[in-house]
Amino acid sequence: MENPKPRLLLVASGTVSGALYLLLYLYEREIMAAFTRTDGWFPVLPVLAAFVFSFAHGAFTGYFWEVLGIRALRKK
Amino acid sequence: MEHAAAQFIDLQHGNVLALLAIGFVGGLVSGFIGSGGAFVLTPAMMSMGVPGVVAVASNLCHKFPKALVGAYQRNKFGQVDVKLGLVMAASATAGVWVGADFQNRIKLDFGEAGSNLYVSLAFVAVLTIVGAFVLRDAVRVYRSGEADAQEKASRLALWVQSVEIPGTMMHFKTANIRVSALFTLPLGFATGVLASTIAVGGFIGVPGMMYVLGAPGLVASATELVIAFVMGFGGTIKYSLHGLVDIRLALILLAGSLFGIQLGAIGTTFVKPFMIKVVMAAIMLIVAVSRGLVVPVYLTELGRLDLAPSTMAWLQMASFAFLVLALCTGSIIIIASMLRGHRSGAITLREPAPD
Repeated sequence: MENPKPRLLLVASGTVSGALYLLLYLYEREIMAAFTRTDGWFPVLPVLAAFVFSFAHGAFTGYFWEVLGIRALRKK
Repeated sequence: MEHAAAQFIDLQHGNVLALLAIGFVGGLVSGFIGSGGAFVLTPAMMSMGVPGVVAVASNLCHKFPKALVGAYQRNKFGQVDVKLGLVMAASATAGVWVGADFQNRIKLDFGEAGSNLYVSLAFVAVLTIVGAFVLRDAVRVYRSGEADAQEKASRLALWVQSVEIPGTMMHFKTANIRVSALFTLPLGFATGVLASTIAVGGFIGVPGMMYVLGAPGLVASATELVIAFVMGFGGTIKYSLHGLVDIRLALILLAGSLFGIQLGAIGTTFVKPFMIKVVMAAIMLIVAVSRGLVVPVYLTELGRLDLAPSTMAWLQMASFAFLVLALCTGSIIIIASMLRGHRSGAITLREPAPD
């Protein structure tokens, strides 16, 4: 039987990634107001968001190609 | 500095779709050759009405997480020399500062058109010379029938590796080279200067690591992602302190580019090493044509030429079309090589799990 693990991980990471993008869409105005502030620790927000999205969406895209069957040919 | 909310555009659905598509293609090329994409992403965002500085800032904010994911992926394939990447990135950061300062001076002395002319001439000169050299090397490898063989270091690289300067020698394990830091420093510096001038430092960094230091193409292009991460990260903080990052643009680009960069990274594992050089040379030479086309426009703005406004508009449109063509050509070569790999059974299709 086919290994279901990558599919489950694809769904899980896709849900997290989708939820993050949904939040971005729903709270666009508030996010833009906070992320362009230059006082205090606000300038860190874009960097933090980039990291969070790269982990969640990066995991999703990785599983996406894996589930499609496109995998690296290990040379080493 | 006050925050710049007034400068941010209303995003239309069409814009979002375009950003996703360009992000994907840019990511695919970056995953494969270590850089690329910025030269189309930034002008594309500007054509949507995004101010130049916000486009640059948002591109940088999408670049560093993209490079992180790409470097992580290619590190799994044993292609990244983290130490070489960090050493290069350290001097590249200094190069970015000097390059940006130089650019500002040109802008002050010669105005916007003078600055644009300088950037375009830098593009044409660097990309034509380096691109032609990379293409010549790729053709030589192909014709020699050694496309499958391990890459040989260039004569320059062999000389660089033979120079022993006590106290400065560094060993880079994955790249399998031992060179003096006195050679990596100017190379990283030049990468940074170019990055701050034309936004794509990898066009110097990758050929430099290949032909000057003697790193294999696969390792050089993968290591460039470490440099891109460091420079993108630093640049994002710099612009974020002025409230200039449009996080929506950065994250939408990231949504497409993370699909692309993973596919590009996977692609490197089943193409012949010289294909990296083919893609790189093709993109560099087409981008050189694109930038060459706008040189007469800037010369007209500076009063050195007399072109009709319609001719200038046509040249600018043709220039942008060539940028898109560069990215598309790179992507088509990558996907075609992957399909060839697929046909030859190189891609491992989903295997049944062991019971």
